[in-house]
Amino acid sequence: MKLPVHKSSGCGGSCGSASNHGVTRRSFLRRTAGVVGGSAAFAAALSPLMDIPEEDRQFDVKKFLQKHYKEMNADEMEAALARVREDVELRYDVRPEIRDIKPMDGVEFVYALNLSRCIGCRKCVHACVDENNQSRDPEIQYIRVLEMPRGTTDIEQGDHHYDRPKVPDEDHYYMPIQCHQCANPPCVKVCPVEATWQEDDGITVIDYDWCIGCRYCEAACPYWARRFNFTTPTIPSDKINTEMSYLSNRPRHKGVMEKCHFCLHRTREGRMPACLEACPTGARKFGNVLDPDSEVTQILRTKRVFVLKADVGTLPRFFYYFDERDPFAQSVPIPGAPS
Amino acid sequence: MPNPGQHQRHPHPPSKAAQIGGALIGPAFLVLALGMFMTSRATVLPNAPTPVVQPEQIAPVPRRTPMSDPPTALIAGFEQRCNDCHRIFESTWDGERTLEQHQDIVINHGINENCFNCHVRDDRELLVLQGGKTTTFSDVTTMCAQCHGPIHRDWRRGVHGKTLGYWNAELGPQHKLTCTECHDPHSPGYPHYEPLPGPNTLRMGDPGAGHHAEVEARRNPLRRWADDAKHNSHEGDDHR
Repeated sequence: MKLPVHKSSGCGGSCGSASNHGVTRRSFLRRTAGVVGGSAAFAAALSPLMDIPEEDRQFDVKKFLQKHYKEMNADEMEAALARVREDVELRYDVRPEIRDIKPMDGVEFVYALNLSRCIGCRKCVHACVDENNQSRDPEIQYIRVLEMPRGTTDIEQGDHHYDRPKVPDEDHYYMPIQCHQCANPPCVKVCPVEATWQEDDGITVIDYDWCIGCRYCEAACPYWARRFNFTTPTIPSDKINTEMSYLSNRPRHKGVMEKCHFCLHRTREGRMPACLEACPTGARKFGNVLDPDSEVTQILRTKRVFVLKADVGTLPRFFYYFDERDPFAQSVPIPGAPS
Repeated sequence: MPNPGQHQRHPHPPSKAAQIGGALIGPAFLVLALGMFMTSRATVLPNAPTPVVQPEQIAPVPRRTPMSDPPTALIAGFEQRCNDCHRIFESTWDGERTLEQHQDIVINHGINENCFNCHVRDDRELLVLQGGKTTTFSDVTTMCAQCHGPIHRDWRRGVHGKTLGYWNAELGPQHKLTCTECHDPHSPGYPHYEPLPGPNTLRMGDPGAGHHAEVEARRNPLRRWADDAKHNSHEGDDHR
């Protein structure tokens, strides 16, 4: 279709002969109104873009040109860390100590949780938020604690929102769920841009600068362990944990996924995860499953452990157990004991 | 050059109403656009309140400080060793506390309810072992193990109890908490805790599944927003 061309403004004397060009005063006004109205409607349709906060509208060339985590060499990594350092300082007014920490050799991390000991106090949930620079408004929590009726492990019957004056309740037991760091992770398979992958020590990590926020991984995770930043994360400056690493707890931006990473900035240096340290009962156990004397190996060898949704074939590295003793546990030697 | 507009205009000229209507389309769009522009930012769903947690509630420290060697007690504002008093004062065998000291001790340890089951009668700075042997306060686990054998085996494996510090002793200091750093020896059962605030995200949990529909409603920002709107409209009714 050929659009009528406005010649009226520059046509000089020929404007009067409307019948020749098909432009009358009425049609001119109508078309002008149409064009003005149309562009106004277009502008209005784009107006939600005005809602995007200032910091999200800034285009960072360095970030745009930054390579994928696995493709960066040492110099490029250093530049990326410097950029993140600047970004954090600009946003939160604190100087972070950010590093890139690589997995240790001969280490595969495993978590074990004693359901007989967990009392559902939710200290782990908040220690995690404190450690990992999650958004506080709205607050993003990696760990969710289910209050389960006794006699079932059907998590559909669990309740997240229990609000009792005191826990534990005698008719319930408590089941904390976080990222299970699966050996066969569905979240990694569905990522269209390979922004999430499994590291050599078994931790599934996310390159927050590579994530496009499609949330496929969130849908794929059978444990609902992944969280999405729907809004720009708000963290008060005094709540920022300045000990950061690239793949774990550096502050995220709006529109990216995040999840539990076994506190890799702590655990890859030998320290315990924050959730374990805050646990008042010692229900949480963490360690290297390749070490036969480690606490988690001892649990796997002497307790009857289970994984959540074993039927989906994700091979979690997060094991649950009750304090029932395996009758064959006695035959397993105690580490450090004279045999 | 043929003009398609002329063909339409002359054989069937549009009615007056259509002409006015046509002329109004543009301004109507304009008004609509302005309206959308003005109102697009009006509706913002409130976030659920950020839970307030004090740092000491999640501090990575042992639950209690046990007696060390030599054991001391705070008597009349002074640190006193046990034997300073117990050299002089004889205690009764049945746990009756005739003086005003140690009144705060509640014994709730099953059938193990006599002081001298664990404490040495003649030297109050030591603990009882089977066969007349004794041990020190820092070796309290040996004494506990006499009755709690299976738990003690689990503890030695690192299966029972809590380990602070490093997950591998070769990488850094490891502190395996002893029995009395978590349990009160006189009343070893675990106390009940007040739970810290729960999650506030929309997708967490099905309102039908939980037992606390009203709690759910309070935490769900979308529902709270709807409830507030309903509440406000009711208030409007009252004023009228």
